[in-house]
Amino acid sequence: MTTRREFLAWGTAAGAAAASGVIIPIAMSIDDDAPSGDGGSGGGDLPRGDATVVPALVTTYPPVKIGSVSALRSGDEVAFNYPTESSPAALFKLGRPAAGGIGPDRDIVAFNTDCTHMGCPLAGGFNVEHGILGPCGCHFTTFDLTHRGMVVIGQATENLPQILLDIDGDDILAVGTIGIVYGFRDNLLDAELVEGI
Amino acid sequence: MSGIPATSAKTRVPLPPVGAKVVTTACEYCPVACGYKAFIWPVGLEGEPTAEGNALGADFPTGPLSGRWPSPNMHTEVTIDGQLQNVLIMPDPDADVVNNGGNHSVRGGTLALKLYRPDGPTRDRLQHPLLRVNGTLQPISWDMATDIIATMIRHTVDTYGELAMGFKHYSYEFFENTFAITKLAYGAIGTPNVAPHHNTGHGTDTPGLDDTGVDSFSAGYADYAEADAIMIVGTDPYETKTVAFTQWIAPGGATLVQMDPRKTFTAAYAEKNGGVHLQVTPGTDAWAIGAIARYILEQGWEDAGFIADHVVNTRAEIDEDGSWRRRIWGRTVDEFRAAYLAEDDYRLADAARITGVPEEKLVKAAEILAKPVNGQPPKASLLYEKGLYWTHNYENTAALGNLSVLIGARGKPGRATSRMGGHQRGGASGASYPMDKSPTEFQGNKVEMDCDRWVVEGKTRMVWSIGNDWVNGSGASQYLRRRLHAMTRDTDPQISTSVPEAVISQLQQRLAAGGMFVVQSDIYLNDNSEFADLVLPAATWGESDFTRNNAERRLRLYGKIMDAPGEAKPDWQAVQMVAQKMGFEGFDWADTNEIFVESGPRAGGRKDYSKFVEWAVAEGLRPHDVLREYGTTGIQTPVKIEGNTPVGTVRMHAEMDFKGPGGKSNFVHVDLQAIRDRNDLLGPNSDEFWVLTGRVNHLWQSLYDDLRKPHLIQRYPVSFLEISPEDARRLGVVSGDMVAVESDRVRTQDLGTSQGAITAVAYVTDQVAPGQVFAMFHYPGSPANAVVTGDAASTPQNPRQPFKFGRGRVTRIGSTDLADRMPFAPRNLA
Repeated sequence: MTTRREFLAWGTAAGAAAASGVIIPIAMSIDDDAPSGDGGSGGGDLPRGDATVVPALVTTYPPVKIGSVSALRSGDEVAFNYPTESSPAALFKLGRPAAGGIGPDRDIVAFNTDCTHMGCPLAGGFNVEHGILGPCGCHFTTFDLTHRGMVVIGQATENLPQILLDIDGDDILAVGTIGIVYGFRDNLLDAELVEGI
Repeated sequence: MSGIPATSAKTRVPLPPVGAKVVTTACEYCPVACGYKAFIWPVGLEGEPTAEGNALGADFPTGPLSGRWPSPNMHTEVTIDGQLQNVLIMPDPDADVVNNGGNHSVRGGTLALKLYRPDGPTRDRLQHPLLRVNGTLQPISWDMATDIIATMIRHTVDTYGELAMGFKHYSYEFFENTFAITKLAYGAIGTPNVAPHHNTGHGTDTPGLDDTGVDSFSAGYADYAEADAIMIVGTDPYETKTVAFTQWIAPGGATLVQMDPRKTFTAAYAEKNGGVHLQVTPGTDAWAIGAIARYILEQGWEDAGFIADHVVNTRAEIDEDGSWRRRIWGRTVDEFRAAYLAEDDYRLADAARITGVPEEKLVKAAEILAKPVNGQPPKASLLYEKGLYWTHNYENTAALGNLSVLIGARGKPGRATSRMGGHQRGGASGASYPMDKSPTEFQGNKVEMDCDRWVVEGKTRMVWSIGNDWVNGSGASQYLRRRLHAMTRDTDPQISTSVPEAVISQLQQRLAAGGMFVVQSDIYLNDNSEFADLVLPAATWGESDFTRNNAERRLRLYGKIMDAPGEAKPDWQAVQMVAQKMGFEGFDWADTNEIFVESGPRAGGRKDYSKFVEWAVAEGLRPHDVLREYGTTGIQTPVKIEGNTPVGTVRMHAEMDFKGPGGKSNFVHVDLQAIRDRNDLLGPNSDEFWVLTGRVNHLWQSLYDDLRKPHLIQRYPVSFLEISPEDARRLGVVSGDMVAVESDRVRTQDLGTSQGAITAVAYVTDQVAPGQVFAMFHYPGSPANAVVTGDAASTPQNPRQPFKFGRGRVTRIGSTDLADRMPFAPRNLA
């Protein structure tokens, strides 16, 4: 059974500050902790913006094992499906600290691998030198895996959905998502869920 | 503050149910103008995830390239007619022109976020006229606001003459608005003191090319796909005209010659796919183009048939031409050939030394563009933008025009010479430009007025600024800011009352004291609002039916989605109220369709929709309704009527009907000495960087919408400065450091020098060569234009501010946290 909890996570007051041309910074530090996915304390520790922010929603699911820390080497891209069997994703070991990264070097991240521009597959396009995925073969969007899947250059109207990770011993657990996967109206609807969700 | 950057605050996007209202439109932003559909339905209802169960006709999850995935940022909720409605603005998945199958850019893909909602980042839309009383902008009524404007325009013209009354307005924000504005300014008032958003006066941006007899927007996107070879000069189409590249150029498979001082994405793409990047030293384009042309001549690769049939080779024809510019600079075939073969700077070795482009790359470019394949010349097109024409406006466009004539790149499928466009084309002429009143001349010929110079010299007493970011969009922007501030806020009296007669009296006293009165019409306050004593709230895209062309002359209706907030009105209505209060006749339109009908007979040249309007009216139809039926396909101007059916024009000059003498093309003179002199005057010295400026993928114009779109502004939360790894090392700068760009040699509008300074975050990248940096031209608060020349007199035959002439010193300010939250990965990996 799905358990879903949604958390206000961040925000910006860009509009309110626009008249003077000053932008209130949108925060994202690579020192941020990814929300714990143990189904207990979860994202309750995530910071909240003030009343003017545009909130983001993080969705968590029961933990599903998707890999092992000890099996990953820097530069690895390991495919899996999550949270449905129709949602291709991959684990990446970046070799550099990343926002939401786990492991001793905080460099293990996971993302959905369908381009959020028009859905072309990004799988296999990991560029370890720069920590990016892409450019997409269709319309050349490139995503930054160290910065929550933000668009480096390109046409995607969403960040690449990040898969929230947690660690239990040597096990890498997928515990949720940020953002809607390409092609879906809701990450958990209209397709077969992977086992454990 | 720390946290996770979201691009949308959603875990679910509702699907439009079958029967959802559909409004067709086109994108607000770049010149490509992809077709879009707005689906509108009440909040609470939701379509099914099956093709039969939703208005998108799609099974969910949708597959790749379906064009039917509603990205969360394509969706918003707004109030329409008192009811909360879902609005999903999607690239038209059924489009079979422009953005076939729902292709789009990140700019248009986030159009929904532009719509007004009181609970979101667009909440600060202007909703009431504002009057600055005792220093603060306070709401007043439309009636009072337009009384003040009408009275003050009359006073200004009567007391100081027409030239003292200025307009500064977007040139493109829909035919209906620009028709009304120019009808008032040029016609009713009769002032030439009217500048478009992007420059200092009316007039062409591409005079040299115009003088070779070709229209500057002649191509259709079909030509991009059909070409074997495309030379792109001074623009990165992937970043700034995205779908022209992703839908037409890249899939078309043309071999690319990308000419740009920066190694941008398209440059890398060209090199990776059999083409070549000509990384010219800024200011030397004419030598590179000239060397390619000379090499083609030497190899005998010119289009001899085209030249024989369609190019002027009689001196008398040029001498007798109606255009003074052509009489001065026009050249026959023989004159051109002799001049190019005699110009030592066009020899490969010399050109390579001057431009920094290796000889073999110049040769490769010539081969790609003109070397016959199986005895046939390649189908080559030449596409260009501001990097070409906003340094050496006349000479560079002349150089490209000559290459175009030489290889016959005009009027045939896949063989076009055309601007790619900076913005869409929505300029209609409500009256003719009163050239006889322009105070500016070149060699005894009237040229268009240099309006910004008139302003900084204190000769303009009132300006109505409509829908643009005047200061940040101008060269020497901080000097202009200081002058505007001095003439408005720093010249007393200031308005201290809201009694209309007293307000007018105080404003008139200020004008008499040498001051100025600025009225601003816009959708948000911006960096210009500090000079405005009166602000009018405007309605915008999606808030009224409007029409506009894109860069392939495709005319479409931009349908109304919702009412403007509060009392905001489209600019034509503000013009109408003022004109009527001034006693002018001919401003009594009931809606935008009536303006469009009136504009028909005055629509000419590449925007000629006159016969379309005539036809529709004769058929008893509203032209706007016909265009609504044409949907996202629209129709390409000029429009003809064949049988009884309007027929569009895919490409201009298809009948080999050129604009030179006798309907031919002609060559023009390229004055290399004028270029050298201008490079010396405006270029950097050995202590300075050449500050290149331009647009950026995510960001549109003054960022008026982008500031309010989290997905876009979080990518570039402050302006950035591209700097080469070599220079960064020397200055001790890393990506994420804050840096300053400063110059005390900014050429000003009135030909002096001034100081300009901006800050930006350093983005260390090989996109720029050592000695050069790049910044976004128009980032609010810190536009690169602050260190760009404002000297339009440096191109005297056609006053234009040469926006690519920026210079300054770069220093490190300190470190920031930006590297933690803003990608600094390379943007030029193809």
